[in-house]
Amino acid sequence: MGIVGTWQRLFIALVALVGFLAAMVALAFGDEAKPFPAAKAERKVDFVRDVQPIFQRSCYACHGPQKQTSEFRLDVRKIAMTGGEAYGPNIVAGNAKESPLAQFVAGEGDTMMPPEDKGQRLNAAEVQIVRDWIDQGAAWPDEVAGNEADKNDWWSLRPIIRTPPPNVVVAGSGNSIDAFVRQKLAEKRLPSATQADRRTLIRRLYFDLSGLPPTPEEISDFLADEHPAAYENLVDRLLASPRYGERWARHWLDTAHFAETHGHDQDRIRENAWPYRDYVVRSFNDDNPYDRFVAEQVAGDALFPGDPAATVALGFLAAGPWDESSLRDIQEDTLDRQIARYVDRDDMIATVLNNVSSMTVQCARCHDHKFDPIPTADYYSLQAVFAGVDRAHRAYDEDPLVATRRRELAARKSQLDRTDEAATTILLADDVQAEVDRWEASLADGRVRWTVLKPDCFSSAEGSTLSPLPDGSLLSGGKRPQRDTYTISATIPAGGPPLDRVSAIRIETMNDNSLPHGGPGRQDNGNFHLSEVQVFAGDVQSKPLALAAATADFDQQDWGIARAIDGLDLTAWGIYPHVGKPHFAVIELEDVLELGDERRLTVVLKQLHGGGHLVGRVRISATDAAPPVRLDVLPAEISAILDRPRGERTHDERLALARFQQRQTVLAEIARLPKPSLVYAAASDFEPDGGLHPSPEPRPIHVLQRGDVKLAQDAASPGALSCVAALPARFEIENAKDESLRRAALARWLVDKRNALTWRSIVNRVWLHHIGRGIVATPNDFGRMGAMPTHRALLDFLAADFRDGGQSIKSLHRLILASATYRQSSLASTIDAKQAAAAVAEDVDNRFLWRMNRTRLDAECVRDAVLAISGRLDLRMGGPSDRQFDLRPGIHVTPIVDYAKFDLDSPAGRRRSIYRFLFRTLPDPFMESLDCPSGDQITPQRANSVTVQQALAMWNDAFIARHCEHIAARLSSGGDSTAEQVDALAQSTLGREPRDGERDELIAYAERHGMANLCRLLLNTNEFLFVN
Amino acid sequence: MSNRGSIRHGVESSWVGAGGLPTSANQAVIPSRRGFLQTAATGLGSLALLDLLGCTGVLADAPRPDFNGGLHHPAKARRIIQVFMNGGASQADLFDYKEELVRRAGQKFDPGGGVHVEAATSQPGNVLGPPFPLRQHGQCGRWVSDLLPNLAKHVDDMAFFMAMQSRTNVHGPGSYLMNTGFLLPGFPCLGAWTSYALGSLTDNLPTFVVLPDARGLPYNQKGNFGSGNLSVSHQGTVINAATAEPIPDLRAPATAKFITPDAEREGRELLARLNRDHAAANDDNAMLEARIRAYELAAKMQISAPALFDVSDETEETRKLYGIDEPSTADFGKRCLLGRRMIERGVRFVQIWSGAGGPSNNWDNHSSIVNQLPPMCAATDQPIAALLADLKRRGLLEDTLVLWSTEFGRMPFSQGGEGRDHNGGTFVGWMAGAGVRPGVAHGESDEWSWKAAKDITTTYDFHATVLHLTGIDHERLTVRHNGANRRLTDVHGHVVKAVLT
Repeated sequence: MGIVGTWQRLFIALVALVGFLAAMVALAFGDEAKPFPAAKAERKVDFVRDVQPIFQRSCYACHGPQKQTSEFRLDVRKIAMTGGEAYGPNIVAGNAKESPLAQFVAGEGDTMMPPEDKGQRLNAAEVQIVRDWIDQGAAWPDEVAGNEADKNDWWSLRPIIRTPPPNVVVAGSGNSIDAFVRQKLAEKRLPSATQADRRTLIRRLYFDLSGLPPTPEEISDFLADEHPAAYENLVDRLLASPRYGERWARHWLDTAHFAETHGHDQDRIRENAWPYRDYVVRSFNDDNPYDRFVAEQVAGDALFPGDPAATVALGFLAAGPWDESSLRDIQEDTLDRQIARYVDRDDMIATVLNNVSSMTVQCARCHDHKFDPIPTADYYSLQAVFAGVDRAHRAYDEDPLVATRRRELAARKSQLDRTDEAATTILLADDVQAEVDRWEASLADGRVRWTVLKPDCFSSAEGSTLSPLPDGSLLSGGKRPQRDTYTISATIPAGGPPLDRVSAIRIETMNDNSLPHGGPGRQDNGNFHLSEVQVFAGDVQSKPLALAAATADFDQQDWGIARAIDGLDLTAWGIYPHVGKPHFAVIELEDVLELGDERRLTVVLKQLHGGGHLVGRVRISATDAAPPVRLDVLPAEISAILDRPRGERTHDERLALARFQQRQTVLAEIARLPKPSLVYAAASDFEPDGGLHPSPEPRPIHVLQRGDVKLAQDAASPGALSCVAALPARFEIENAKDESLRRAALARWLVDKRNALTWRSIVNRVWLHHIGRGIVATPNDFGRMGAMPTHRALLDFLAADFRDGGQSIKSLHRLILASATYRQSSLASTIDAKQAAAAVAEDVDNRFLWRMNRTRLDAECVRDAVLAISGRLDLRMGGPSDRQFDLRPGIHVTPIVDYAKFDLDSPAGRRRSIYRFLFRTLPDPFMESLDCPSGDQITPQRANSVTVQQALAMWNDAFIARHCEHIAARLSSGGDSTAEQVDALAQSTLGREPRDGERDELIAYAERHGMANLCRLLLNTNEFLFVN
Repeated sequence: MSNRGSIRHGVESSWVGAGGLPTSANQAVIPSRRGFLQTAATGLGSLALLDLLGCTGVLADAPRPDFNGGLHHPAKARRIIQVFMNGGASQADLFDYKEELVRRAGQKFDPGGGVHVEAATSQPGNVLGPPFPLRQHGQCGRWVSDLLPNLAKHVDDMAFFMAMQSRTNVHGPGSYLMNTGFLLPGFPCLGAWTSYALGSLTDNLPTFVVLPDARGLPYNQKGNFGSGNLSVSHQGTVINAATAEPIPDLRAPATAKFITPDAEREGRELLARLNRDHAAANDDNAMLEARIRAYELAAKMQISAPALFDVSDETEETRKLYGIDEPSTADFGKRCLLGRRMIERGVRFVQIWSGAGGPSNNWDNHSSIVNQLPPMCAATDQPIAALLADLKRRGLLEDTLVLWSTEFGRMPFSQGGEGRDHNGGTFVGWMAGAGVRPGVAHGESDEWSWKAAKDITTTYDFHATVLHLTGIDHERLTVRHNGANRRLTDVHGHVVKAVLT
């Protein structure tokens, strides 16, 4: 029975294989059936790789950083090796038999560790690892010796130390990276593979940097390029190409878990999510310095107010899913709403801290982090950072000058809104008062005067209770019928302002606390649908008066006021999502009505949509103003003030008038500014959408015991992680009410040069995407449950170099790509066979980089490559996403999305995959089969699966089939022979010509079945799908 | 690699065998011995299957012991059919009879003690009694609504959870919780975990199949059947029973005329040859070989799947039993019948949905219990009863677990007159079949059927119990993701022993 034991801890992705083979064999056949003797390890057990994970999983809960039962702990070398109560020391290096620890975990004596229910027991294989480790001397490297005094003492939290590259001779053209890597290889007695050939390198580089295959011409040019810096020049060309940003933006969008719908049950489309995607593409292409890139995405609005792109960057915080039902539609006062808010901020916290700091802070939501020094207090301080923002369509100006003017006007407006003395002084200043006077004079004639019609007779057809209020309005209450019709009659008073004729009526829909969301509608969401308005002279008669036109202060989309006078019961006026505030509509009569003796008017309000979409409070007024009578901009209280002679106005009335006029002026100028663009982003100021309102100031955040909103403890103040010792953990915020200052403080904390996490995190992330595995294999977890760095000195070298050298990601690419390590062959066969076998035995998962990793093309690379080979790839960049599906309205919010009905030949099917529209709960099955993430979860590294679904998709999906036809057509268009076409096809798919022997088979197949079939075949080869 | 000759490489897929060991992504976890044996043994005969994640999958040849279905302990249930009432089925109208609701119907709902009463989408109305009578049935005397006359005959085979509890009153998070154990999107659902832990019983069909309502997907759409951080192979394969190609991509598209049968056959052979040559020239090739195998299995599935959907071999009596020729029961009945045919053929987990997301045609009866509940009951009552009867007479109920589930219940008071709003406070679910103690009822709600009161079954407890029946210890089935060892039951869950034999 073969024994190849190693922890298979490749890719941290979703489902990893852990094959400890020697152990498994023992496990499978040893302990019960015993057909084979338990295997003995044939190689050295590595503490970090093999032993520590077992301790972490099974022992730390009681003997780790948080808890030290019997004062024994297995996370600190000193205590582990010497401690152990009556049995101590628990570990006798070199002698597992005599080590109590080995006996405990094996359950050999009367003590079994871990005890029942305290942790997962070790299986036979793991017991054997512990034994072997002790027998081999219980080597425990200094780097992970641990420190009892300071929980914070953990590699990722220590300051970055830039050690010069070791003095190691690197054959050929290596750089400082190779010095670190080679030193480690020498230490581990591992060989290194030879350099890959140029054909391999160009394919590797193209997919790595641009996500596209090299064309046959590009390959032959590179092969023939005799320039000594041919490779470096190729790297530069690829980095300079816009294709680079499209490729690398995708990695960041994975971590941001960006998609263009909300997810959840109401998976609504976010029409304005795409500008953030374009921002990320541009940032990579422009080589935006990393500190700026991070700061923009957390607090770009506050830190770089003059730069519109910095506001778009806030799409990062809003990129993840959003629970529309819980955060918009359900009742405001429910626990579910509160919980949803905490949960929503939790996603923002994870998005920032997992990705920028590589810390899994969200674990501290219910309890202090079990393994890392993150108390719940820190977690809720982060909640407080985001306490003022929601996810919403955020307005921004692409023109910085417009943005500046809009900011000034907004500041002026909020100044006017204040009621303090300073504001009063401004409003009563002479120049302002003079402006008010001029304004009053200008509108004296044209002002429409409304007379409120106090109803003297009113009824509901379906049994709503209508109650008259002193202001002349009617409040609807009682049972809520599905549909209703109100009939309201009033006698126009003879006194007051004379009104002998009526040219128009005004219908005010008003708020009341008894109504859902304050009304004005009775529907649960605060809306109403007014199907038809009829006006009668006198009481209801056979024929209503003809209506000329209708205008409203706000029209719900597709529910405009015109629909209330179109004679159709099916259509109606609505005001959603602008609920919670009053609205009004002005309805002009076709012919001016001369009031006779009766002086009576009846208005019928039909509300026939159903679902209880009824008007909750309504008031009718009439005017005799000369037609056309349209919207009257003056609110009733301002009108009333204006009606009073100037001398009789009170101080408060003068103030109110001035405030109104000044506000109107500001608002008018704002309205004249170019329409702002929208981006779906974190926002504290946005158009309310039903039950989603901006919070005027940050919402109070409390530390929640066990994460339970019902167990709120102390109020939390904004801050970050206290384990980053170099920086204050709580922020000093000048104005606690300005939420953006909180985010700005977090942004500064993140990009502070003393915050070691940030710099280690990003260089590791970039390394991971080039090499296929991070120096730390868990890119988003640098805590104790994460992986240890394989090359710590290298990681720090890269981090320091990056941090202090301008934070250029492109420079980091150049450094990594220029290394001999990157340029290695992925084949062990390039190494002497004996050495290769030893390398496989010692490091089968290639942690120490004795060769290059082979990677599978990801979903976007596959799709883009197929498009490129077909010649149909459209390189237009940016803008709204391509919807590669048929879209129909669904029964509810979520539409019906059908990918099978998409016309693959349409323009929307030809751009690069990064411009695909990403539907969270209805992702493209083809892309999904190739592990394209849905955006539900933060994805620092994609899965790399091989499945039957994937084989079926590659073999049968319509996208592949259709493009095989396109590729065949392209090949045959040049008039080449079949043999030439086969050569060209192999070049573009595999990056090489067919080999002898192979060529004949391919030609024969193509001649029998056509080039399209051969194309289908080659696109399904492993050679196409993998990059060596 | 020193022992290439003696080891096999497999393809990771829920469709073709054990969907990989319950290993963690970046922290090593050794599977239990039984899990290993079972993983090695299922599905593909001697070809062992493993997750192959950019790494070499190496596994020893293993003898094939009789599969006992258990990962951590012997399993009672080898397969599961879950019928899911989308929208929140009204427990008080269907199973949870409360005298108080009848007595106080029309009065203001006041649970006393000055408790704040809130409802998710409406202002709480008056107490609403069940508009249709409930009666006691069977030996066990379980209350069942007159709307479910056929199911009422099976109460002695069922175990009821009378006091289930959700953590939310909102569909999105509620459906996620009931399916994945988390309020948020992106976590693997029960079917995916089952696929991951136990793998497949067949090479020919997917391990986890979802049969949505013909009218549309449920709330959360496909999010409810996702595989989250597990491999995509464990997600529910959505089968649209009504369409010509129920399994996507099983065949080349009809529009691709150039793919003739000969081109297909010869193409497969040539592809295999090219891939084998390539694998021979590339070391570290387990993933390469796994892909070769995946194509072989895909071909196999192509041949065997169509028979599944051809129900012409069923007797007239069976068709009648499921009601597949009656308009009201045709869709759900056909899907229940397909469910039986699937588990007969080795599908591990079948989830059959009743109702699409949205304001009507589901169990989300906000506007009228009187009008909206009866058609839902009529569509599902006979087919589910038929499924139970059919499984029983075929001996399949011995090792098949049937689950009747919904995401939450409904309020004891009215919404807008005669509807009911969402209620995560208490609701009812039941199970029947393998390992289930028949005729028991676990837990009680309060006098109003407003909140769970006694022996509460959380969604976590429910999942723990289901996993237990399939031989899985819910606390030990974990996968490491984003810094935590994720499991179906989060950090909660107790097996409800009262419903076990």
